[in-house]
Amino acid sequence: MGIGPSDPAWRGYIMLVGTVGITSDACKMTMMSRPLPPEILGLVIDQLYDEPTTLRACCLVSKSWIPQTRRYLFAHVDFGVSVHTFESWMRVFLDPSNTPAHHTRSLTIRNLPTSVPTGTDVGGWIRAFSNVVHFHFDPSVGAGHDFSLTPFLGFSPAIRSLRMTSTTFEVFDLVCSFPHLEDLALINLSPEDGTVGWSAPLTSPKLTGSLDLCPIRGLHSAVRRLSDFPNGLHFAKIAMSCGLGQDFTWATDLVSRCSETLETLNLRCFLVGTFSSAPPDRPEPYHPSWT
Amino acid sequence: MDVATFRGRFPDLSKAAKLKDLMFLSRACNIHWIVAALKNVEYKNLRQLTIRLETADEPEETDDEDWQDLDRLLVQFWTSYSIRPQLGYAPDSKGRERVRLPDLLPELTKRELVDLVEYSHPA
Repeated sequence: MGIGPSDPAWRGYIMLVGTVGITSDACKMTMMSRPLPPEILGLVIDQLYDEPTTLRACCLVSKSWIPQTRRYLFAHVDFGVSVHTFESWMRVFLDPSNTPAHHTRSLTIRNLPTSVPTGTDVGGWIRAFSNVVHFHFDPSVGAGHDFSLTPFLGFSPAIRSLRMTSTTFEVFDLVCSFPHLEDLALINLSPEDGTVGWSAPLTSPKLTGSLDLCPIRGLHSAVRRLSDFPNGLHFAKIAMSCGLGQDFTWATDLVSRCSETLETLNLRCFLVGTFSSAPPDRPEPYHPSWT
Repeated sequence: MDVATFRGRFPDLSKAAKLKDLMFLSRACNIHWIVAALKNVEYKNLRQLTIRLETADEPEETDDEDWQDLDRLLVQFWTSYSIRPQLGYAPDSKGRERVRLPDLLPELTKRELVDLVEYSHPA
């Protein structure tokens, strides 16, 4: 009886080759004399999608193995505050047009560069993440509070899921720049700045997935902005926090607007600012060691 | 929380005709809005109803009339629509159970029409 790619024994063998076997003379000779066909190599690498140590070892086997392994090594990127920062990424990948960012499907940014040389287009590095599907921006722990969201406008047309933590009302322009957006979470949305003007967008995503709305003070402004979206609201799931008495009126308004599609509703009523929802279930991001 | 601010206010969910799964999270001292909202819910497609309650560290007064209403309403859910509610309950930060749900929902618990679940405090 043979073993196939889905067999645990096969997977164990691959890991052995990836971590130990590549140093053996026999394996070196094999690799030098006859490279694996790309489709076979693809099958091997596919089995290792959640084994970063082995994937890194595979990168050292041959240059031809690098593109296949990077597909998984950089699938989930999480820019932290102290290590694996966005700045360290910019230092390692000096040319924004030549980075592994296009492999990234899930991107989390917790801090943004504050000390870049004058004239540096940070947006270039951001736009390199052009295939991101899930984007989470959380500057609450870093120094990114005052950072403009403009460089992020439409940076990845593939985005389906957007989670913004501790952000401002500028976020609604960002939302409208992603045409395929389905899931939206706005956590700890700052109170509206009355000095910033707002005009209804010309286009908006269909928003057919989930909405998690947790403003710091009142649903009023957020619901009004969402109501201005020209393509309407079609959420199937809504979770929202009511912290003020009149929030129930706005919750009613939002529910009415999604009445044709809404199947799941989660209403929270707490003292203002005491509740923050748990992050959605996602695979743990892998922190690539580019530093 | 200024419970008085919420008194008489509630979300009107009557237009959500396709609602299947409904969850409320609130303080145990402020369930009036939940009772009021449930009276207007469209039940045609509703399959699951969850209510999660939290209590503060300090004792809070609960409105007996609201709890009696909730007890009656949830019993009616079962008899009329076969919806078995789940009631989640978070103890205070020291693990003390300030509100005893079986006492507040006597009919529902006596007839075993509710699933009582303890969950951890989100804060």
